[in-house]
Amino acid sequence: MKPFITIIITGTFAALLPLLIGDNPYITGVLITVLMMAALASAWNILGGFAGQFSFGHAAYFGTGAYTTMILLYQWNINPIPGIMAGIVAACIIALVTGSIVFRLRGHYFGLASIAVAEIVRLTVLNFEFTGGAQGILVTDVALSGLDLNSKNPFYYGMLLVLVITLLISAYLRTSKTGFYLQAIREDQDAAASLGINISQYKNRALLISASLTSVLGSLYAMYIRFIDTNAVLDLRLSIEIILTAIIGGVGTLWGPVLGALLLVPLAEMLRTNILGDALVKAGLVSETSPIGIFLKENLAHAHVLVYGIITVVCILYLPKGILVLFRRHK
Amino acid sequence: MLTIENLNASYGEMQVLRNISLAISAREIVSVVGSNGAGKSTMLKAISGIIKSSGTISFNGAPVSNLPPHLIVQRGIVHVPEGRKIFSEMTVVENLMMGGYLHQKEIKKNMERVLTIFPRLAERKKQLGGTMSGGEQQMLAIGRGLMGNPKLLLLDEPSLGLSPLFTDVVFSAIGEINTLGVTVLLVEQNVYQSLKISHRAYVIETGSIVLTGTGSELLNNQKVKTAFLGM
Repeated sequence: MKPFITIIITGTFAALLPLLIGDNPYITGVLITVLMMAALASAWNILGGFAGQFSFGHAAYFGTGAYTTMILLYQWNINPIPGIMAGIVAACIIALVTGSIVFRLRGHYFGLASIAVAEIVRLTVLNFEFTGGAQGILVTDVALSGLDLNSKNPFYYGMLLVLVITLLISAYLRTSKTGFYLQAIREDQDAAASLGINISQYKNRALLISASLTSVLGSLYAMYIRFIDTNAVLDLRLSIEIILTAIIGGVGTLWGPVLGALLLVPLAEMLRTNILGDALVKAGLVSETSPIGIFLKENLAHAHVLVYGIITVVCILYLPKGILVLFRRHK
Repeated sequence: MLTIENLNASYGEMQVLRNISLAISAREIVSVVGSNGAGKSTMLKAISGIIKSSGTISFNGAPVSNLPPHLIVQRGIVHVPEGRKIFSEMTVVENLMMGGYLHQKEIKKNMERVLTIFPRLAERKKQLGGTMSGGEQQMLAIGRGLMGNPKLLLLDEPSLGLSPLFTDVVFSAIGEINTLGVTVLLVEQNVYQSLKISHRAYVIETGSIVLTGTGSELLNNQKVKTAFLGM
């Protein structure tokens, strides 16, 4: 019961946070991204961490959710709520087709094939007219009765709700029989099979759960930003950021992916807005006019992926189980 | 109980099993002995469906060749793989529960049976699998297999890497399991010990069966003596 209570308490605190911040769209925006990345990494973790199946193409499910909801809204004026449901169905279809073929294979075929599927989805969306092609889809007005969607708060609570649901599912899975079967598959697939566990069925279950949650997040993101194109929601970069968030935080743990997002998203934001570069100048460590100062000013803003990479390497070398281990005394 | 006819299996271009035919009757202990690389483990993997093969394998009259592993387990053939392959991050009890996957209702009864056969495991219920000694892990692997209510238990090199003391424990446990009504197909490099407890045995060399007989016949066979027992 303990993890469930922790999740609910943490979720309640997070729900009160907007009252403390008040009307500060910038901070709220950053927090929405933190919640989204935490939820994405946690959803990925159900498949990658618990079942040990590394998906390198989760952007496919994110993008499917985003595009399904947006197309339904834009072309047929369908309300976002059924749009989110339709997104889940579409993501599950893609997941089932991928999983039922690829999970029959052994080794790392799933990881490789997940990239291929994500690229197929991306290229398909890019080349069709009803998806907006390379221009993407822009929706200027989203109406949902009773909610002010011009404010950021509904999206804060939407992302928080999905994160809490994802964590509750994860906590449940860790203690349930299904969770043990997934762990057995992760530890030794042959041994699990030799006990009568239907390996591909359990992998598919984990994939379906993970893909559905990811798709909901994609739909929320699309409604929040109101503009999507393949670069924003279907890019390989997104898939990799999801994986890195989970790995740096702690793969296979409950809170690791959340921790990863709490660390990486603000860091990326600081780099993007060049707070870090400015701070170095202000502290007198680097002169603004020196070659290093100019270089930092021009390039640091684009460097967050590079920084992710460096953190990942450091983590793999010194903290292979993720940063979460620093917060635990044992195991 | 288990009949194999003209079993062939390959890894890519390399053929590992050539026209293997053998039969096991209910309640027997049958061992397959042979040197490293003779194809013993491959044969077990083909029976349990982990690798594809050609030829016919039938179990209690029904064909089971090339069925997916989880369906073969459902028929009552349980494979205890080489190298034990226990779940190292799970406790002894959790490992055993995993073995009871297909027989949830009988978990309690089966667990008691396993803990009676291996009292050592009863002492270490809460220990993580990965922290146990090789012999204890082997007991756990066999115990986990027994949780699946096997009619036929396939044991792959259960004495591999064990101390003489644990080897004796494991072999006497195999005898005990057999007296409980479980048929055992044993694959071993420890030729002397396995022939001693087996009703019948097959000698396999480079993928073919070259010799067969009762355990004691083979123990006294000159060829077996010079090739495997160093006598």
